Amino acid sequence: MTDRIWDQYLTERDKAVFAASGFGATAEWGKRPALLVIDVNYAFCDEKPVPILESIKTWRTSCGEDAWEAMPVLQRLIGVCRGKGVPVIYTTGTRRPDNWDSGSWSWKNNRRSEDSSSPRTTSHGRDGNDIVDAIAPAPQDLVVLKQKPSGFAGTPLHSYLQLLGCDSVIVTGTTTSGCVRATVLDAFSLNFRVTVVEDGCFDRSQASHAINLCDMHAKYANVYHSDVVAAHLQELPSGMFDLPSGAGLSAQAAE
Amino acid sequence: MTPERFEDHVWRDVVPDDLLQIYAPYKRETFVGPNPALLLIDLYNLAYQGGPVPPLELQEHYPSSCGIYAHNAIAPTRRLIAAARAAAIPIFYCTSDLAPMAAPSDVSATRRKMTRRSPEDFEIWHEFPPQPGDVIIRKQRASIFAGTPLISHLNRMGVQSVIVCGESTSGCVRASCVDAYSNGLKVSLVEECTFDRHELIHKINLFDLHHKYVDVMAVDEVIAHLEGFGAQAAVAE
Repeated sequence: MTDRIWDQYLTERDKAVFAASGFGATAEWGKRPALLVIDVNYAFCDEKPVPILESIKTWRTSCGEDAWEAMPVLQRLIGVCRGKGVPVIYTTGTRRPDNWDSGSWSWKNNRRSEDSSSPRTTSHGRDGNDIVDAIAPAPQDLVVLKQKPSGFAGTPLHSYLQLLGCDSVIVTGTTTSGCVRATVLDAFSLNFRVTVVEDGCFDRSQASHAINLCDMHAKYANVYHSDVVAAHLQELPSGMFDLPSGAGLSAQAAE
Repeated sequence: MTPERFEDHVWRDVVPDDLLQIYAPYKRETFVGPNPALLLIDLYNLAYQGGPVPPLELQEHYPSSCGIYAHNAIAPTRRLIAAARAAAIPIFYCTSDLAPMAAPSDVSATRRKMTRRSPEDFEIWHEFPPQPGDVIIRKQRASIFAGTPLISHLNRMGVQSVIVCGESTSGCVRASCVDAYSNGLKVSLVEECTFDRHELIHKINLFDLHHKYVDVMAVDEVIAHLEGFGAQAAVAE
């Protein structure tokens, strides 16, 4: 296999263990995928490419410029899926104004109090949980609001996949080590085939991004470059799914 | 079944006209959904103990038995299972999870006072023997979905709808039907193969489920659908 993004972080023993233990085999794609776009909102991306150490002064969860390197990848895959009538499902966070429901999130971050004391909005007054305009949901897409890392935790996501007759998910978004991984793990546990788009995911930690891709590729998913994923999607039949009509929704109203 | 016959079910003699009028907007065609699996809820010995007599007569020795209602459902349930096997659709049984140390002592499917139970009480009734290709789900609560891997199995098999029967209508059947519906599955509940300890509670729960969450269907109708399903598969081959 060609060099992978995680190779630089592995010891020689790690490489030998992976090679000898059978992990990282190539799994089947599944026949009826949905594209999942996890948490690509202003709080994780900022308004434009800003160096991460600068960006996190405003948005403590920002992934900085890496988010914007992934944006054209997301635009391309979303475009291919819409063209094929493959479901595009976004997730983003939701919270009470008083932040009571942040729950366990307050246990591990000492800047959490900023969320309720001085709620952040963009220069255009957009909420941090708004999905960035560069990949705005279209009326026929689905947007799942969540409060925990996994897109499945306490949400209707699984029932949507069931209704659509999906057998697989293609996962993109952020963070690779957090909500992407949690969603991948739950999809795997529910017996969905899982693909992770290597250059369609990002994280605020470069090492976490690489190692989490390594872990997911070893155990739960095929981790592929977007070129491979786009080529696969192009091979699928068109119009397989009974998608929402989007009637009565404008692009942003879908959120 | 056509919308005109939407109320042609066992509850007709207990549901007054004003109630039917309130529920008129639910009237629709009923059918079995795509890629079905059969869910057999709690067809274990406890439900049949004491024989085919009114459950009130069994109160002392077999308080969990559905008596005559359980026994009346045996013949149609055998026909339903046979049709499901002929159609080669996935079949899931469920029964209580009796594994030692699996749950705190106060965990059970209902709030009823528990009497002493033996493992044999929760074995599947001998007239519905599970076959090697079937799956038996062990559960601790009312719904077959609650805290079990069932939904993962259904996903893996590409199941999009479920045909449900068993006991009790007001308890585990109802809970399982509502969870199936909430999980995005189409639900067909088979009338003659579903039972409870009293006719009234059976009928009213069927009425509730039929209008809100499931299609209550006659066993003949479901079997006819499964026979067509098998015929289609034969043509495809």
